[in-house]
Amino acid sequence: MEDKSKSTGSGADNPYAQYHVVKKGDTLSKIAQEFYGDAQLYPQIFEANRDVLKDPNQIQVGQKLRIP
Amino acid sequence: MYAKRFFSLVFLVFVATLVGACTNYKEPAQAAISQAESALDAMSVDAQKYLPDKYKEVQDAVDAAKATFEKNDYKGALAAAKDLPAKVTELGTEVAAAKQQAIAALTDTWNSLSADLPRMVDTIQSRVDMLSKSKKLPKNLDQATFDSAKAGLGELKGMWNAATQSFNSGNVEDAVAKAKTVQAKGTEVMAQLGMQAPPAS
Repeated sequence: MEDKSKSTGSGADNPYAQYHVVKKGDTLSKIAQEFYGDAQLYPQIFEANRDVLKDPNQIQVGQKLRIP
Repeated sequence: MYAKRFFSLVFLVFVATLVGACTNYKEPAQAAISQAESALDAMSVDAQKYLPDKYKEVQDAVDAAKATFEKNDYKGALAAAKDLPAKVTELGTEVAAAKQQAIAALTDTWNSLSADLPRMVDTIQSRVDMLSKSKKLPKNLDQATFDSAKAGLGELKGMWNAATQSFNSGNVEDAVAKAKTVQAKGTEVMAQLGMQAPPAS
């Protein structure tokens, strides 16, 4: 589920930053639902990962996303 | 008759010489032991903390000189006390070095913790803020646990302020101890929120 390993990106210098590695079938809404219990909060995940995401509807399997 | 007087005189001279000799040793021995004891007392807290074995060794030497003195063996006590000033001075130097080394190590630990822990608190704050916006909590988190985590976050901030104050007032040891408590509490709060903390270094 969550991957605590360090990664490049906005949380790279924070050892406590929380990550999720995108798996098949994931969407930002699903990830928001999983972590926050509310799919409507997906824009916050998108904003936290603007360095790797250009479109909230286009995430790639294996991408490591920071979960605020 | 003359012989008796002669031997009495010899005996008196002998006793006077003996008393004189004892007096010659007693005061220097007493002074040396007292000085060593005072110097050792002055450094005892740090010495017992940083170099307990070496401290015990010197303390034992002082005790041995005192025991000899108390048996009225002033010459022996003086001989035993002769090396005490050097031993105490050497201990003082070594304790100061050990203390400096320990404080340097603690400062390094503090520098590391003070770089990381505010980020830990911020990360928890961020998650609490997100969960507070949520209409419903995630499956792995009930309301009571979330409330407990929020209270824990408040505690964390207070604990971190206390650690920072200790450091700013020059008490690095206390600051590091408090920071480690913050780290442990933060790890606990993160676990409550379903977050993972990095292993403690």
